[in-house]
Amino acid sequence: MLFVHFVITVLFALGLYTVLNRSNLIKIIMGINIIEASLILLLVCLSYKPEGTAPILNREYEIIVDPVPQALALTAIVIGASTTAVMLFLAIKLYKKYGTLDVGEIRRLRG
Amino acid sequence: MKDLYSKVIIIIFAILLAITLINIGQSAEMVDYKISNYYIRQGVEDTGSINLVTAILFDYRAFDTLGEATVIFIAASIISLLTKRSTSSIVYNNFSPLVYQNISFIVPFLYIFGFYLIFYGHLSPGGGFTGGVVLATIFVLLTITFGVRRTREREVLKIKSLLENIGMAGFIFIGLVGVLLGYNFLANGQAGLYLGEPGKLISAGTIPGLNLMTGIKVGASLSIIFNCLVREVK
Repeated sequence: MLFVHFVITVLFALGLYTVLNRSNLIKIIMGINIIEASLILLLVCLSYKPEGTAPILNREYEIIVDPVPQALALTAIVIGASTTAVMLFLAIKLYKKYGTLDVGEIRRLRG
Repeated sequence: MKDLYSKVIIIIFAILLAITLINIGQSAEMVDYKISNYYIRQGVEDTGSINLVTAILFDYRAFDTLGEATVIFIAASIISLLTKRSTSSIVYNNFSPLVYQNISFIVPFLYIFGFYLIFYGHLSPGGGFTGGVVLATIFVLLTITFGVRRTREREVLKIKSLLENIGMAGFIFIGLVGVLLGYNFLANGQAGLYLGEPGKLISAGTIPGLNLMTGIKVGASLSIIFNCLVREVK
């Protein structure tokens, strides 16, 4: 369990570092997606119970993992996919207008 | 200098996050599993669906799912609103005949897989969202292999937006059945609808219908998004 928390922390920090320090728009979008992935991993990790089975009750099971975070993870995935699509679309629009994907360049050109 | 500054901030943030997460992990015994235990005990009896994730998504919290569907709808609307009405066929390469034959061969199986995921959503892993994404990949594959012109994108786009509207309206109409019977919006088991025997294909009241509508909607929306992005790139 400790290892999973370590992975979540590293993923979140990497994503945040990418968002803050990279100037390429596509890389910023990738950073946001990495942060999302770490949050989904956290939800899956919260629903875990030792020796639990998947929440599909086609037989009598003793221990079943918590189904609520899994439903929320599905919501997070769907909304993440649609926001990523909108972000990529806006990146395409910016590239067509300014001819570059560099955030600093775009800020300078807007002037 | 700026680089070092942000690195220090992120390392401090990561340490704080790790401490919080470890604290959450250690207090796992104190967590109140009342709601989750209720779903596990009563879920099959209340909804008739043996897949508890689907039971939560389309019965207990179906209103959330309606909001989720609205988010995809709005994303597709924004993207298709801001796209120019001109076609460009950049995604067209001359592949070897093997690729064309393989894609033509694989498409019917992908349709079967997508509809299987949608119709068996309350019995096995899958459901409307997953099946819809599989259906959307069919259009992505066809557009990439055969090009925008050959797939008659203009006419297909009209059919897709019609399908998206049908999915959205169908979800709300199925929800209104509960209101007509005198219960809450999107009521299923408590409105006395036929739940059937859990584990059979025809069971779980409105859940298969909601799954179908969500699948149609998600598939249409995602392929509309793909179409618009392809049209925009030049």
